[in-house]
This record gives sequence, C-alpha cells and structure tokens, in this order.
Amino acid sequence: MNAAEYGCLDAILTDAEKVPCKFELDVPELGYLDNNPAQPLKSGATIGLPLWLAELLALANRAPSSADEDAKSFVSLNLPPSLSNEVMSALKADPRAVPLRDQSHNFYGLGTRMLDLFEEKEICAILRRTFVTRAADIALHAGKAGATDDMGVGAGEDFLRGLEEWERKLFKKAHDGAKGTKEWMEGVKKH
Amino acid sequence: MYGDLGNKLVQQAKRTQNLAHLPPYQTELVRAVTREVRDLDKDVSALLEPFQGSFHPTDDQAVACTLLVNHLSMRRNKRCLLAYHHTRIDRLEELVWKGYDVVDLAGQPARDGSGNTSGAPNIANSDGSMSNLSPQEEDYVRQYSDLLAAYKGQWTDIDLTGSLEPPRDLFIDVRVLKDAGEIQTEYG
Repeated sequence: MNAAEYGCLDAILTDAEKVPCKFELDVPELGYLDNNPAQPLKSGATIGLPLWLAELLALANRAPSSADEDAKSFVSLNLPPSLSNEVMSALKADPRAVPLRDQSHNFYGLGTRMLDLFEEKEICAILRRTFVTRAADIALHAGKAGATDDMGVGAGEDFLRGLEEWERKLFKKAHDGAKGTKEWMEGVKKH
Repeated sequence: MYGDLGNKLVQQAKRTQNLAHLPPYQTELVRAVTREVRDLDKDVSALLEPFQGSFHPTDDQAVACTLLVNHLSMRRNKRCLLAYHHTRIDRLEELVWKGYDVVDLAGQPARDGSGNTSGAPNIANSDGSMSNLSPQEEDYVRQYSDLLAAYKGQWTDIDLTGSLEPPRDLFIDVRVLKDAGEIQTEYG
C-alpha cells in the first residue's frame, strides 16, 4: 500500500467491506467477532470480517516452521457475496442491468482487492467488460445531463443510484467536463 | 466491533468532502476511537503479562491470533483518525488561502444558522463552544495564516491569493475617495 492510498477515504471505506472468513483455530478471546463475547470463537466458524482484518489474518503465517501448507493461516478467505456466481452471471448477461451499488458501494475497489488474493481469471474478465460497457453508458448519461439547462436530475438521479463510488466519480468528471467545454465554447464565440 | 467507530469518522470525512462548509469537529467520536486504542493496548499488555517477555507465537496460536486482531484494530483506528483529521486540515488550508481567518471560521456556525432554512438548532460540540473547529484546529488555522502572511510578504507586488481570472477589460473602475482636482490621463 502506498502513501496516497493510506490516506485515501475511498480506499479506507473499501477496506471496511466485509469478506466471509472461516476460522482455522479456536480463539477464546475473540468471541466478540461473532457477537458472542462470552463464548470462545470455534474453529470452523464463518464470520464476515472487514478486509483490513481479514486480509492480514489470512496472510499471516502462524507456524512458519510447519510443513503443512493448509494449516498455515488463522482464517481462510472466501469471495464476498458481491462477487458470487449469481452476481457474475447477472453481469455476464447484461452489465447495465445490475445496480452495482446494491452489491457494494466500492464494488470495483473490493473486486480489485479480492483479485489480488484470488486467482480468478473469469471474474477479472467479467469485471473489466462490465466497467467498459457501463462506462460508455455513464458517458452518455453525463453528456445528456449537461446538455439540458433544466438539469435532467429526475432521470439522472435514478441512474446515479445504481452506480458505485468509482462510477459516480467518472460520471461527475464526464459531466463537469462536458459542462466546462460548453462554457468555454460560449466564451470563445463572444470574443 | 473494534474499528466501527473509526469507520464512522471516515464516513464523516467523506461527507465533508462534498459539503460547502466544514461540519462540526466530532470531539466525542474522536475521543471514543482513541479510547478504543487505549483499551486495545491495555488488552495486549494483559495478554502478554503472563509470558514475561518470552512469548512464542507458534506455541500459543490462539493468543497470537488475538494479539494480531488487536494490533490490526489499533492500526486501523490510527489510519481512520489520520484520514479524518487530514481531510479537515486540507479543507482548512484551502479556506485560509481563500482569505478566511480564524475569526471567520470559528464564527461559521452562527452564519450557517441564519441561512439555515430548516430552522434546525445548531448543535454545539460537546465542550459547549459554538465553533465548528476543535481548539487544535483553531490554533492550526492561526499559525497557518501567519505562515501564509509571511510567505506573501516576500512579494509585495504580487497578490498570491488574488483571483486568477484575468481582467476582461484594459480599464478597471475605481472609486474616487477624495477630491483630486483635475486629472490628466494618457487618453486625455
């Protein structure tokens, strides 16, 4: 993680996204992670933990000397529901029909982080195609919202609701860009 | 769970980025997050106590796991606290460059209140002061303003904080302050 990412609010919020983790050992003190502080956390329990906790728990090497490959980390990670097969097939069918924001506010951020940990070529390809297809749509909407002076907010807001954080930024940039160009062109004509 | 409060702070910071004004400093939340770090640190010390400095993670994996979770939670809280304050500091510096000084900024809520159409009462932060800034932030603004003034002082002929918009006309309007008699300009 570089310094810019450390202070980036979106990166921090992406880090708070929950990922299902299966504990590989009993931990008496960590019952509170499963909302049950009085009970020890049992091996095999699956809990959704934020990425900032899950990633390092999964990567930490608890027995460097042990030759057993499988029993090396505290937890084993799983893909979060937002990257599940169902969502992936829906995206494969039509990327534009899925409100990504309902899956995760930082959908692509979460995807990028998970793909650093998992070797999933197909998900990677789907996410890429999804972004490209949706980006074209976003550009179209952003241009339209800028073209009408009565602010096409009604329809625009509906469209924005399905966009995740990165897409919203893209929308804003495209929108401001189109508006800026228009203003500049008008200025050129005057002089 | 640990880290949830820190997350709230970051959400606040994120909201701040999209607001025109600076919302009140979250004294309570910041205090709760630092308290959480202190509690976690206490837990870590208590966990390590029986080992008398000879703790081997491989022998006691459950404890090692708890220690790691505690450590990561503290680190997470630190990151959230830094990000929250950094966002506010960025905004404050921007405002200072725009020409606000500490009196303007500290007095901001009063102005916001008058323009508040919803009529919601201003929420003073916990120490009863009406300022949106923490005392440390006020101090920062004061010192940053001084720095900026010193920096600007080096070039008296350039207005560093002036508008970057070039004038549209070669002439500018002036207001005559005192009677100067007859004036001859280049153009008559």
